[in-house]
Amino acid sequence: MVKQITIISGKGGTGKTTIASSFIKMAHDHIAVDADVDAANLHILLNLTTIKKEDLIGGAVAVVNQTCINCGKCEELCRFDAISGSTSDIKIDTLKCEGCGVCQYICPAGAIELKKDKQGEFYTSDTQFCKLIHARLNPAAENSGLLVTMVRSIAEDIAYAENKKLIIIDGAPGIGCPVIASLNGVDFALIVTEPTLSGISDFKKIYKVAGFFNIKTFVCINKHDINDKNTEAIEKFCASNNIQVIGKIAYDENVPKVLAAKNYIIDYTDSPAAKDIIQLYFRLEKFLYE
Amino acid sequence: MIISVASGKGGTGKTTVAVSFALAARYCQFIDYDVEAPNADIFLKPDIKNIKKVSIKQPYFLTDTGNDFSKCAEFCHYNAIAVIGSEVIFYPELCHGCGGCLLVGPEGAVREKDVVVGEVAKGFTTPGIDFLKGNLIPGSMRTTTLQNELEKMLNKSGLVIIDAPPGNSCSMVMSVKNSDYCILVTEPTPYGFNDLLISMEVLEGLKVPYGVIINRDGVGDSAIEDYCTERNIRVHLKIPNDIEIAKIYSQGGTLLDYDSSYGEKFGIILKVIERISIGEADNHN
Amino acid sequence: MKGKTVKICITSTGTSLDSNVDPRFGRCPYFIIYDTDTDTFEAINNASRQAMGGAGIQAGQLIASKNVSAVITGNFGPNAFRVLQTAGIKTYSRVSGTVKDAIEKYRNSQLTETSAPDVTSHYGVGRSN
Ligand code: SF4
Ligand code: SF4
Ligand code: SF4
Repeated sequence: MVKQITIISGKGGTGKTTIASSFIKMAHDHIAVDADVDAANLHILLNLTTIKKEDLIGGAVAVVNQTCINCGKCEELCRFDAISGSTSDIKIDTLKCEGCGVCQYICPAGAIELKKDKQGEFYTSDTQFCKLIHARLNPAAENSGLLVTMVRSIAEDIAYAENKKLIIIDGAPGIGCPVIASLNGVDFALIVTEPTLSGISDFKKIYKVAGFFNIKTFVCINKHDINDKNTEAIEKFCASNNIQVIGKIAYDENVPKVLAAKNYIIDYTDSPAAKDIIQLYFRLEKFLYE
Repeated sequence: MIISVASGKGGTGKTTVAVSFALAARYCQFIDYDVEAPNADIFLKPDIKNIKKVSIKQPYFLTDTGNDFSKCAEFCHYNAIAVIGSEVIFYPELCHGCGGCLLVGPEGAVREKDVVVGEVAKGFTTPGIDFLKGNLIPGSMRTTTLQNELEKMLNKSGLVIIDAPPGNSCSMVMSVKNSDYCILVTEPTPYGFNDLLISMEVLEGLKVPYGVIINRDGVGDSAIEDYCTERNIRVHLKIPNDIEIAKIYSQGGTLLDYDSSYGEKFGIILKVIERISIGEADNHN
Repeated sequence: MKGKTVKICITSTGTSLDSNVDPRFGRCPYFIIYDTDTDTFEAINNASRQAMGGAGIQAGQLIASKNVSAVITGNFGPNAFRVLQTAGIKTYSRVSGTVKDAIEKYRNSQLTETSAPDVTSHYGVGRSN
């Protein structure tokens, strides 16, 4: 069976991509997925050649045509405030429209159609370590949840076809739809957090979300030494909730610099963060390939 | 005037910047639009006075009436209903609460109830900051429902500072679309640059004027600055990369706690933005 | 609604009996509907694969309407599992190898029925299998 691990953080900027890219470099028989589709970054770091490109056709939105008789019914029934001016000059706000189809159903003039649009693209690429499935959402598009689902589906297809053992997923930020789509059905979640008050608040929420899925969850505290008291608080919380803190990574000035130069921190073996990340990977590895 | 603070990527210091603006302005409305991970209250420490539950309507089906509900399942665009013979299975986590099944189903046999998806909290911070945030229940996906609720409470008569959620997709657009000006916070790395370019594209599409603040100045290269100079995009401020800032942040402290002169710096940026928006100044470097 | 059906459904990576069993119910590329009486089969393209959410629910209803008595796959998500159970369809999971082998095993009663979904989650969102 293919195992899947998602790396998440509640909020971006906690070192999630640094850790994901290190794992991608160290793992074997694997496929990588960039599910942080809002701010996909792995493709910048990994050297890649795109071998396949597909369109993402997103959820539908309502479009109105000239046959509208301005009866106002659709506006009255749309629960998402997407329709305005229906008795004079009707407008549908595509940002607010959720494509529920109520207006189309109710319209006496048959003036509304639901239309699906291209909302982005997803790619299958070769990298120096493994295949990477990544995506680009059109600016301002919705449906990042669907995009996550699609990139994961493709990764699964390839994993089954090529007999891979592991799928590493760089998850989306937040706790909403794309995150839920990055967690659903995976075997492991690694939550990367920081010992900051906001980090702790985000961590507790994302932990709750992961809890809904019955996924084996691990925690890694990044920059643990910037606030010992908060680190302790996180460790206490984990201990009382039976979550394993599987690694702690030291604050290391080299990390952003190395990352900015598109290098891998784990190649700088004498830097403190590199040691911690390598250790973290080896502790996780025995679960990933069991 | 509405000023939003956004960032294509999380963790770039967006909240730090938004909070600095509010503290520099002293009198304003501050809205945390990041309903999935609202954090600004950690730094602004408002006295929360009022919490309002936000709910959507979801259906339930009176199956003992012997009615056929298959039309409901056929209609639902989100596959939230399955009908097998006389049985109805409802999946609340997929339901958007559109009311469609009520409309198409057998009369009187589909009812609705309120389901809470989150809350909106109102508070106050001295000297004069009206604080507002949305808070989504973990497990709910109704991010937009909460943001719509916040939008209704916008006080357009004064200065409004909006802390937008990270990213460039629909929830970010919901937060910045009404603004008179948007501040994009970024880091001087290839990743920050990549995300910044997408944010700029979004704002240009929305016709919202914008400027840039570079955080953790010194960790990467000057590509962003060079790009901004070349395209005549205003870089309002550069905040240095200093572990002291990270430490203060970790305890819920602000940029003004790190160096009080930031109050003045952000005050000046506010004035500049005001002059830009009334046409007295150009939005250039 | 079941009657005496002899049809079974296998989730498949392709359209032939030599294709592999696809481990996902809701998002498999094809369903092979096999008639164990006449030894004929039909491959159905799984349109739910592209669904925003509730792929398993949609697929479950489709399969329920095909009058099959059993479904063979790798994993069932909770949503799809509920639909199939409600429809009185027997569920067999953790099956791999070719579709042909899976049918053989089914005929020889070598498969054990699944009594609970393989993937637990409270969500159907994005990717219910
Ligand atoms: S499809 Fe639904 S959300 Fe969109 S405009 Fe029509 S009623 Fe409103
Ligand atoms: S329901 Fe149809 S006819 Fe009536 S206002 Fe809406 S679009 Fe126009
Ligand atoms: S209210 Fe709308 S989304 Fe919810 S079940 Fe009914 S039709 Fe589906």
